[in-house]
Amino acid sequence: MGDSELRTPPLKPPLHSTAAPRDQEPDDKDLEKLRKWHEERMARKLRGEYETAVFHLSELVNDNLGSTARIASIRVEGATHTRKSFLGSLINPYLGSAADKPHTLESVLHTTRAVGHILQETDIFQSLGAKLEASRDAFAQPGDVDVVFKAKEKGRYYLSTSTEVGNNEGGASATCRVRNAFGGAESFEANLAFATKTRVSYNASLSAPLTRTLGTRGEISLFGLERDNSFYASHTEGVRGLKAVVRTGTLRSGLAEVGYEAVLRHLSKLTPSASISMREAAGQSIKSSVFLNWTRDTRDDRIIGTRGSYLKLIQEFAGLGGDASFSKTEAHGQLSRPLFPHVTVSLAAKGGLLWPVGDRPVPFPDRFQLGGPISVRSFRANGLGPRDGPDSLGGNIYWAAGLSFISDLPRKPHWPVKLHGFLNAGRLDAIDKSKPVQDSIIANLKQPSISAGVGLVYKLDPVRVEVNFGVPLVASAGDGTRKGIQVGIGLDFL
Amino acid sequence: MASVFTLPKPLHHLFSLFPLHTYPPVPTTLKANAVTSPTLWVHPPRNTEEPDLLSSDVECLKWQAYIALRGLSGITLRWDISPDGAIEGRLPNLHAPLPGSEDGGGQLLPAASIADWVDGQVGELGPLEGYVDEAAKDESRAWVSLLEGNVHAALVLFHPKPVTLLSVIAPFQPVAPTIESMLSPPPPPLTGLSSILPAYGSRVDRTIVLERYKEAISSLSERLGTDRWFLGSSVPTALDALLFAYLHCLLHCKDNALRFEVTRRVNLVAWERRVQSDVRAAFRHTKAQ
Repeated sequence: MGDSELRTPPLKPPLHSTAAPRDQEPDDKDLEKLRKWHEERMARKLRGEYETAVFHLSELVNDNLGSTARIASIRVEGATHTRKSFLGSLINPYLGSAADKPHTLESVLHTTRAVGHILQETDIFQSLGAKLEASRDAFAQPGDVDVVFKAKEKGRYYLSTSTEVGNNEGGASATCRVRNAFGGAESFEANLAFATKTRVSYNASLSAPLTRTLGTRGEISLFGLERDNSFYASHTEGVRGLKAVVRTGTLRSGLAEVGYEAVLRHLSKLTPSASISMREAAGQSIKSSVFLNWTRDTRDDRIIGTRGSYLKLIQEFAGLGGDASFSKTEAHGQLSRPLFPHVTVSLAAKGGLLWPVGDRPVPFPDRFQLGGPISVRSFRANGLGPRDGPDSLGGNIYWAAGLSFISDLPRKPHWPVKLHGFLNAGRLDAIDKSKPVQDSIIANLKQPSISAGVGLVYKLDPVRVEVNFGVPLVASAGDGTRKGIQVGIGLDFL
Repeated sequence: MASVFTLPKPLHHLFSLFPLHTYPPVPTTLKANAVTSPTLWVHPPRNTEEPDLLSSDVECLKWQAYIALRGLSGITLRWDISPDGAIEGRLPNLHAPLPGSEDGGGQLLPAASIADWVDGQVGELGPLEGYVDEAAKDESRAWVSLLEGNVHAALVLFHPKPVTLLSVIAPFQPVAPTIESMLSPPPPPLTGLSSILPAYGSRVDRTIVLERYKEAISSLSERLGTDRWFLGSSVPTALDALLFAYLHCLLHCKDNALRFEVTRRVNLVAWERRVQSDVRAAFRHTKAQ
């Protein structure tokens, strides 16, 4: 039995030739190629094994979908900072409905997926893995299983500081965020920023889910800012406010917001050249208002969209106490379409009507302003509409429309810099209440200020930067025009 | 200062072509009405429902009295404008029509320029400023100092503005001159000399302020006597305007100690009442424009 003698298997050093001729193993001399070839072969092998395992698993699961199984309990492990009552409110509806359904493995898996999905929606878990275990319950029936989620929570505290320079403004800001603040997916955020024009601004907000589907959230925020408005209206504005909002829906399908805002505005520090109209508007005013916003955004990119549409409707009623009583309606829309290969056309339009209720005029901070690098281009920021000397007084009715052609740079379609050509038009008016509204609207549509130009658009996430060379084609006497180069930084461009 | 960069001529020429068409200015109802008569912007009177045309603020009342006693009349009063809208945030301001101005914006003058404007309207008073002689003119400076120092300090200390919940929680507080600036010598800080804490606050002795106030009112009463105008002037002077403003505010002061000190002096009360009707007659109120 010499053949049956035990022998040690032959030694297989790394990178030794193991290939059948069809594997096209590279020559031993080129070690780098050989190593790569081995790695690829190993990866192929592993992938194959993995696919086989998955196939076997899915086959096993599919064959047993109809087998009896019932969820006895659902456990979430690792959610140390999350309230049990909160997790219970998310999970219990799935346990309750199980009684009506057939107790099969299929229903168990579906429930597991649904619970996993809702837990992911809370945005408090970094990773979440589910497994089925035989039930620990002493009274468990055969087929009873426990669904165990192994969760790892995201970091609760986040603090960041940053500095920004742009649009003739430089600033620094600090943000503090506490995720899952009270163990129920509440989020607390505080932000403090200093800049040259908006000298100081702060905002503290607490938001929490209001429904167990997590689709509706409530938010309460306190905010304040000091803004230097001397470049268009010779004053500094101080704002202190409180806002409560309920949000539901998503941007894709339509995000609705209902809220209340109470805000104190203080116009002060008037420049020596301030107009009498501005001096009359100075001082404090209180606005107490309810608002309703609806936004739908299907654009493929918020900054430079190539297809899709954006629509925002804003309705505000002020007059529940305070000095301001008005009804404000505004609509913003944008439509983007590819025109030719590498060329996109974008049509944007917006308009608004601010109707004073009662005899008091609408306070200055609530009026519309129009013009500027992210509004009607080739006009100064807030440079359109009624004026008194150096000051833009704002208006009650406006419209603006913009047609933009955005094209890739020749031979550089992947660059974030695009070529841009625009045609803008708009007008801002003050309503004369002694005349019918229709007359005011018709008068507003006539005699628009129009501008055109070309430039570059740069997508600098999360903002859009534009450098345009443009001229005003038609203007009203007194409009603040800006001929030549104009730089704009912002999010919502016309 | 000339810009370092100048626009090239072709570009300048190109820009001068735009806008290709210009419409008339955007009409507006939000612009302030043109000023047609001299208008004094003041703090509101005590009772705005039935206004007595005399401002509740002593500083505004001084200038109201000054304008009226210099013989001007038909001056419009406005109290719907916030102090924030005034020049340097301080009322009163005088809004006067500007001759030859087309837009009707007029000129806005701070309190310090009102005397010059009045001189322009009624002519200058001369080197004696209306006083009988040089000595009276010099003496008037001492009385001004007494009124704006001791009397004003007592008025601020004993008749503070009413504290309401809104005034406590309001984030935008008006800046008022501190009492330390009115007292001579200035009061010591709350922290002692040997304190390691940085100096803060002030230790105002209310008794001393009240004593000085009583002395001042007594002296004023004696000096006025039965004269028609203070210091025996034949025409009203700036000091009369100042005295009237303080007496009027003291007579409407809620603090009994301050008010009694004036009311028990018949000559002061009678003088204030007589001047009051003269001052009131010079003004008329306009509704918010």
